[in-house]
Amino acid sequence: MTRLHPFTLLALAAALVALAWLLPAPWGAAGTLAVAAVLALFSGAGLTPGASPGSTGTGMSPGWRPGLVVLRTAVVTAAPFWLFLFILHDVSTTVALGLRITTMVASVVWLVAVLAPARLVEAMVAAGWRAGTAYLFAATLSAVPVLKARAQRIVEAQRCRGLSPRGGLGPRVRALRALALPLILSALHEVDERALALESRGLVPGARRTPLAPPPDRGAERAVRWALVALCVAALVWRLA
Amino acid sequence: MTDALRLERVSFAYGDVTALAEVSFALGPGERAALLGRNGAGKSTLVRLVTGLRRPAAGSIWVEDWDTRDRPPEQLARRVGSMFQYADQQLFARTVRDDVSFGPRALGFAAPEVQQRVGRALAALGLEAHAAHHPYDLPPAFRKLAALAGALALEPRLLVLDEPTAGLDRALRARVASALLERAAAGAALLVVTHDLAFAAETLERALVLDRGRLACDEPLAGLLAAPPRLEPLGLAPPAVAALSRALGLPGAPVREADAARALARVAAGRRAPLD
Repeated sequence: MTRLHPFTLLALAAALVALAWLLPAPWGAAGTLAVAAVLALFSGAGLTPGASPGSTGTGMSPGWRPGLVVLRTAVVTAAPFWLFLFILHDVSTTVALGLRITTMVASVVWLVAVLAPARLVEAMVAAGWRAGTAYLFAATLSAVPVLKARAQRIVEAQRCRGLSPRGGLGPRVRALRALALPLILSALHEVDERALALESRGLVPGARRTPLAPPPDRGAERAVRWALVALCVAALVWRLA
Repeated sequence: MTDALRLERVSFAYGDVTALAEVSFALGPGERAALLGRNGAGKSTLVRLVTGLRRPAAGSIWVEDWDTRDRPPEQLARRVGSMFQYADQQLFARTVRDDVSFGPRALGFAAPEVQQRVGRALAALGLEAHAAHHPYDLPPAFRKLAALAGALALEPRLLVLDEPTAGLDRALRARVASALLERAAAGAALLVVTHDLAFAAETLERALVLDRGRLACDEPLAGLLAAPPRLEPLGLAPPAVAALSRALGLPGAPVREADAARALARVAAGRRAPLD
């Protein structure tokens, strides 16, 4: 799956999200969620031991485990939405919106797991996009595992100073507050450093970058992408009719 | 007397990759040990094991009479003070003073005791003038000192520090050395991961060298640093003072600046002036 062209992966994720909202609930959203779950489960296929496809950075082993990790991440991320929906709405609305939101979350988590930012940049540059625009997309994707690793380091350092992340609401809120500030500040600090590093290496507005190893874009994949666009348009027309 | 730290045949692996293999050693109270070795030798892994962030796959680690397998890091913090490589990322309070006081407060010490500990830690590292500053308004080197002050304020029986002098200039390194020597004199054992052998020579007394996850060397640091042929296979290079001592053939092959200066003075005093 990681060998698919980055645009195909993006198109798949975008189509799943669009169809989840376009198709009638709950079955349409349930169907798209099932597809997203299957994609997530297979997101580890083709991985080598100790390597992740690109952005996950988890060093997962091949087989089912990476897919389960991706699926679990999606479920854990979506769970709070279900809670709030349940508090605010009746059951049928909760299910309809919950399935759609879970599809969105699962699609994005799957995309982050399988799409290597460097391949996306290469693909975008090869397709004629400006390097700065391509980097904007790639930086957003690559920020997830970087921030996750940094948050882990901060939590560990704080535990070694006596801060327990466990216990009741009070200790957890304290731990969250203690995590948020250094995480945000260091991320902001890094923005400056990254901007300087990119400028000093020639990434200025309007500059064109040479693609060294653009991912192959097969005809079949292009056809799939257009088919997904057609499917979404058809669903939209059907719903509006 | 109970060891401050004791490792008994400790092994650890990341998946199929062995990080540590049957490492055993003990540190007594007040002992000052340098944990040396190439990048990837297992030093940081050992630090994470000692601080309780990871559990050994085999063997056991004891901090005095506590088995680290039975204690989470926040509990071990009562006895182990630690600082990691990315130390400045652990700062989060609005002022340096608040940040340094975080550990003692988290461990439940009374307010006067917290104030005293914070005062001592800030003074030991010369940070009093920055106590009211926001940590992120300080240069990275001072943020590192602030993080170290946070560990010192715990006044632990064991200090485990990962690269405490990386990025520090000579003056700040001297502050760190002085603060660590002070803590050791008070009975704290030191386990310091460092590539800064000049700092190690000035501050520490024992060398523990890891090589591909195994403890390749456990001996007095000065003796090891004075033997360059033994250092090279371990991925180490002698500090300038040790190399100079060896090149000049100074008696005792001193590796610390003060010792080398004294040896040089003795040699100079015993030699006649050129025009005599």
